[in-house]
Amino acid sequence: MTDPDVYLEKLSYFSRMLRLDGLPISPKETADAARILTELGFADREQVKTALRTVYAKSREEQITFDRVFDGFFISEEAMRAQAQKQMEQERQMEQARQEAEQELDSVDLNQDQLDTYAAMPEEARDKLRRFMDRYRDSAERNPELYSNFIHSVFAKTLLEQQMLLEDAAVGGEATDPELGLLFRDISQFRDVEIPKAISIIQTISRQINGELTAKRGRAGHSGKLDFRRTIRKGLETGGSLYRLKYKKKRNRRKHLVLLCDVSGSMVQFSEFALRFIQSINQVSESSRVFLFSEEMYEADAFSLQNMDLFRDHVRKCGIYGKGTDLGSALEKLCAAKPAALNTSTTLLILSDTKTIDQPRALAALQEAKRLSGRVLWLNPIPQGHWQHIRSVQAFSTVCSMVCCNTLNALAAACRRLTIT
Amino acid sequence: MDLKTLKQKMDEAHYVYDDTLATVLSVALQLGRPLLIEGAAGVGKTEIAKVMASALDRDLVRLQCYEGLDESKALYEWNYQKQLLSIQVNMGSKDSKELTKDLFRDEYLLERPLLKSIRSEKPVVLLIDEIDKADEEFEAFLLELLSEMQVSIPEVGTIRARSVPFVVLTSNRARPLSEALRRRCAYLYIQYPDMEKELAILRAKLPHVDDRLCAQVAVAVQKLRASEAILKKPSIAETLDWAAALDALGIRELTPDALRQTAGFILKNSEDIAVLEEMEPGEHHHHECGYDGNCGGHHHD
Repeated sequence: MTDPDVYLEKLSYFSRMLRLDGLPISPKETADAARILTELGFADREQVKTALRTVYAKSREEQITFDRVFDGFFISEEAMRAQAQKQMEQERQMEQARQEAEQELDSVDLNQDQLDTYAAMPEEARDKLRRFMDRYRDSAERNPELYSNFIHSVFAKTLLEQQMLLEDAAVGGEATDPELGLLFRDISQFRDVEIPKAISIIQTISRQINGELTAKRGRAGHSGKLDFRRTIRKGLETGGSLYRLKYKKKRNRRKHLVLLCDVSGSMVQFSEFALRFIQSINQVSESSRVFLFSEEMYEADAFSLQNMDLFRDHVRKCGIYGKGTDLGSALEKLCAAKPAALNTSTTLLILSDTKTIDQPRALAALQEAKRLSGRVLWLNPIPQGHWQHIRSVQAFSTVCSMVCCNTLNALAAACRRLTIT
Repeated sequence: MDLKTLKQKMDEAHYVYDDTLATVLSVALQLGRPLLIEGAAGVGKTEIAKVMASALDRDLVRLQCYEGLDESKALYEWNYQKQLLSIQVNMGSKDSKELTKDLFRDEYLLERPLLKSIRSEKPVVLLIDEIDKADEEFEAFLLELLSEMQVSIPEVGTIRARSVPFVVLTSNRARPLSEALRRRCAYLYIQYPDMEKELAILRAKLPHVDDRLCAQVAVAVQKLRASEAILKKPSIAETLDWAAALDALGIRELTPDALRQTAGFILKNSEDIAVLEEMEPGEHHHHECGYDGNCGGHHHD
């Protein structure tokens, strides 16, 4: 590639690829890249990559996107051929698996996506479904209307779960940057060994958010009242002439936060992370009260929230760990608490996946809680893409604002939102 | 300056670098762009600016950022006392228009680091350290300087750079920087050095310290950084201080006792020191980390 026109064209195409991946690349950066490549040449691939990364990527996150696009774009001929062959082989295997799936599942009415998920599933999970189908085959032949619907619903549910597992497995750039991998991975998927790392990420992000808030407070302007003492003192520097007037600062009114955390089986890890996050942002609220619930509700004291072990011990001691969820009862108790937990200056923050018994009662209690408190915000750990399939999410989201918080990154965004409004 | 010359200059400054760093610095120099360096505290961001000043044979002008930093501290300020004195002295002897004009001469201008760096006859290296600690307004104020190499002073007008400084901005990522600032800079992210680089730094900076001790220190520091339980990871400067302290105390072998005695040089909070004391004695020994360099073969019994 010695002809400058050829590589300039390729570079311009590369810039477009980066833009498609979300990097805000301006023509100036492409011009810089062209200039630097003219100087450096193309002999050393790693050097070209470093030089272009310096020009195009302006943050750690952008560097990771850049590396991915670069490795896919500037590829040697041998690697390209090997990759094409591998892809063809994968497609052939997939096609074969798809045909097998069609043969095996001819009696179940599944769409193409579901068939693809079935083909990509591990053999063990496929075998389980096959055995299930064999068990009900006779019944389905006797009463096709009744049983085919049942079989179809079991298949659809299993395939949706498998699809979610496959998507989760594909998430994250862990190989390149473990910290970023954790930032964008589902909190419920964290392994025990990753928890200290996740906690240190929370500390870093909360430091960032605290920094942003401090800066924002500094910019918040003044109250309009003149600060005579500071004005006169400043005036001494200019021989007594009041050259710059000093004003009193605005009083920073912070919120009263009431947190209602679901600690039933699947939610305990998410609640722990979310609590840690919210509490580490010291400027979010003037005061906060934390209530934990599953089938019963208890108020948690600050001591029990100090670290993960104490939190889990406290949840176990209360006897609410691993039980079902009764949001309605918890909200009713919260509304009736004496002295009142909710009033117009409180923000009620609910940390729950919306799965509860007696949904109509929970909905009515939520409406009452909304009436009593200034604002209600719901942090939901279920990925937003699945909300449309879950009735309880649809029902609760009509009453209050619901924010998806399945990853640490989303949780950080939600905490920022909490501090803004 | 091309890559080869830059490498040569950095070698002369006894700076330990890798190819990535050299390429990034060369690209920033060739394009004349400011270089934004991000990374955890203590990875050597500030040192890069110092080395560049030495390699390019330029003066280093440093602006340390903090919350509330404004243009009067960063760019310029009028010397009010001197101006008032001048008014008192010249009252009656000059007409008022001329007197006012006189008050905004260079004589009354107090140069702060940014103005100093662009008014210097010889190009300098301008280090804007810990930009994430400054307010967003200050970032916006920097944009004119970084992209146009000029600043505007209302009483004087626009001042163009007499010489173009090589600007290095550092950030610990305490808060996200604005997109506008990022896009004007070349970008470098640095991490803590790996075992080999750390050892090379120790050898280069402390040539008088026993090589075996350097290797033991490097291994121990790598282990401490890798430990999730250690909250404040040791910086490169702390590694150097520690090795120098061990050497000054006449310690030739990093035994668990020696490690405990000098832990204050490498770990700076009580929780971390408590974690170190709880560690198994065997965890301090290098042979468990798989290092196969020239470490002197201690504790291999």
